Amino acid sequence: MAKDSNVPDSPPDLSVQLGPLRLKNPVMVASGTFGYGEEYAGFADPEKLGAIVVKGISLHPRAGNPPPRLVETPAGLINAIGLENVGLQNFISRKLPYLRDKKVPVIVNIFGNVLEEYADLASRLDEVPGIAALEINISCPNVKQGGMVFGTEPAMAASVVKAVRDSTTLPLITKLTPNVSRIGEIAKAVEEAGTDIISCINTVAAMAVDIFSRRPKLANIVGGLSGPAIKPIALRCTYEVVQQVKCPVIGIGGIMDALDAMEFFLVGAKAVQVGTANFVRPTATLDIIGGIERFLQVEGLSRLEDYIGTLDTRCVFPFAEEACELTDLG
Amino acid sequence: MNKIQEEAWIVEHETLARHTYRLTLQSPEIAARARAGQFVMLRVRDGLDPLLRRPFSFHKIIPEQGVIEILYRIAGRGTGKLSQTPVGTPLDLIGPLGNAFEQPPPNSALVVLVAGGIGIAPFFALLKNLSASLSNTPLHLFYGARTGSELLPPQMFDDLKVTVHWSTDDGTLGYCGRITDLFQEFMESGLPRPEMVYSCGPLAMQYHVARWALNQGVAAQLSLESLMACGVGACLGCALPAIRPDDPTADHYLHVCKDGPIFSPGSIQWQKIQMYRTPPRTFLYS
Repeated sequence: MAKDSNVPDSPPDLSVQLGPLRLKNPVMVASGTFGYGEEYAGFADPEKLGAIVVKGISLHPRAGNPPPRLVETPAGLINAIGLENVGLQNFISRKLPYLRDKKVPVIVNIFGNVLEEYADLASRLDEVPGIAALEINISCPNVKQGGMVFGTEPAMAASVVKAVRDSTTLPLITKLTPNVSRIGEIAKAVEEAGTDIISCINTVAAMAVDIFSRRPKLANIVGGLSGPAIKPIALRCTYEVVQQVKCPVIGIGGIMDALDAMEFFLVGAKAVQVGTANFVRPTATLDIIGGIERFLQVEGLSRLEDYIGTLDTRCVFPFAEEACELTDLG
Repeated sequence: MNKIQEEAWIVEHETLARHTYRLTLQSPEIAARARAGQFVMLRVRDGLDPLLRRPFSFHKIIPEQGVIEILYRIAGRGTGKLSQTPVGTPLDLIGPLGNAFEQPPPNSALVVLVAGGIGIAPFFALLKNLSASLSNTPLHLFYGARTGSELLPPQMFDDLKVTVHWSTDDGTLGYCGRITDLFQEFMESGLPRPEMVYSCGPLAMQYHVARWALNQGVAAQLSLESLMACGVGACLGCALPAIRPDDPTADHYLHVCKDGPIFSPGSIQWQKIQMYRTPPRTFLYS
């Protein structure tokens, strides 16, 4: 393959340090979009990923919401799965062993109806080998109790993070909802409460209706929008959170290719999660990792970390200062 | 055999009935693995609209030619755009996915298939297997649609060793009324008890077949559908209310993509199915 003359010979360094968590590359699969890894066996080698975030786990198995649970919208997908999952015990005995054999950090997304359940999950997972970190889900829009309720008020969000922090020594990621007025305030609150990392965003509250049958298209009536349609919202949220906290931030929302991922790095995300794109192209994450590498080579950068958070918000008109004088003269 | 991703080329693409198309794809790897009843997730085109893949059952599987056929009806934006895709275009497929039809017992006295509308699609692949394995068993296909122009041409069934009973809701072709009524009338007219009933079509039709099979104690295999995002069991979107064996009243769901698409009638909790979707308004997309 032809190379530009200024392209360095060795492949660029994609590794990132997320607080206590070191990843060989910054691309993870988002919770709920990759099952427990086995579902995509044969399509995308999980060992090539920065990390796998598994489907949200609750203390007890959950059946999930009645169908219809999905509706496709332009460049988007609204879901109301309702956190269907096998429960903690089944996860540990039946799902985790497959992932533990793979050389990939496993991040367990946890979800509780009440504060105590989050703490209980954390303390029980603390004793389980083969887990790299926990991701606290305080942002699911599709359940009646818990979920997003905890994530929309700074004090409540902080209380969940503190309860989990007191129950485990594992690195903690807190996943935020965009369905709030000021996401930065929630971010500050969970950082103070002890989260090591923040991930954002979960899905955007949304709705679709059928004008002929005059019914909602989801049995749950409302759901959460994901996919490319939400990328600009996700980027703005990531940018705001990065401005407000010192801890590392993981950008999530509508990332389909490497160029989308670079946008999140530019505004300061240290890593990204890829969700809906997995459904469209099971190899999306691997393509994104390769694409980030090529982008850095073309830009003549040897390390991804040198690009992160380098957004230049200054005025770009080269004669700006001089022009100010013209304004004064006018 | 394992599911794979394959770039498949459109070899033929033709209209067979109103809003109904047959897509012939050069897809040797999937053709070699596929079994009747399974499906593929097809990406209609690159780009963001439609975003998701679409599930299609195998209409015909011809591994010796490396070919699969898909029969589809325009039902929305995805199939509308698919119908405009010319021969020679590569399409991105994932498959084969889901479970397959099971064979009826050998020497069965009678095997019946019930198809509504585009539900006929997977039965060509199934009938090829059945006519090969059951040399002495009569095969009866009950095939209905809303109107005659939506039915496949009768000569398509000539090579299949099957007796076809036709119906249309408006009486333009065959029996006037629902296919399940025609099916029930025939069953009550002294035919031997079928050893197996296969069914594919609209949910209301499937329900009537399921009810009949459960009342009569006849084994049945229903090919069911649902809106689907991933096709491999990751998103859990294609849930159907189901009966949990250890607690029949509990909330429990099966998933069309990994537990199906073929289900036994007794595994579904029919009363909990919510039919939110309007039947396709094809005029919006063609």
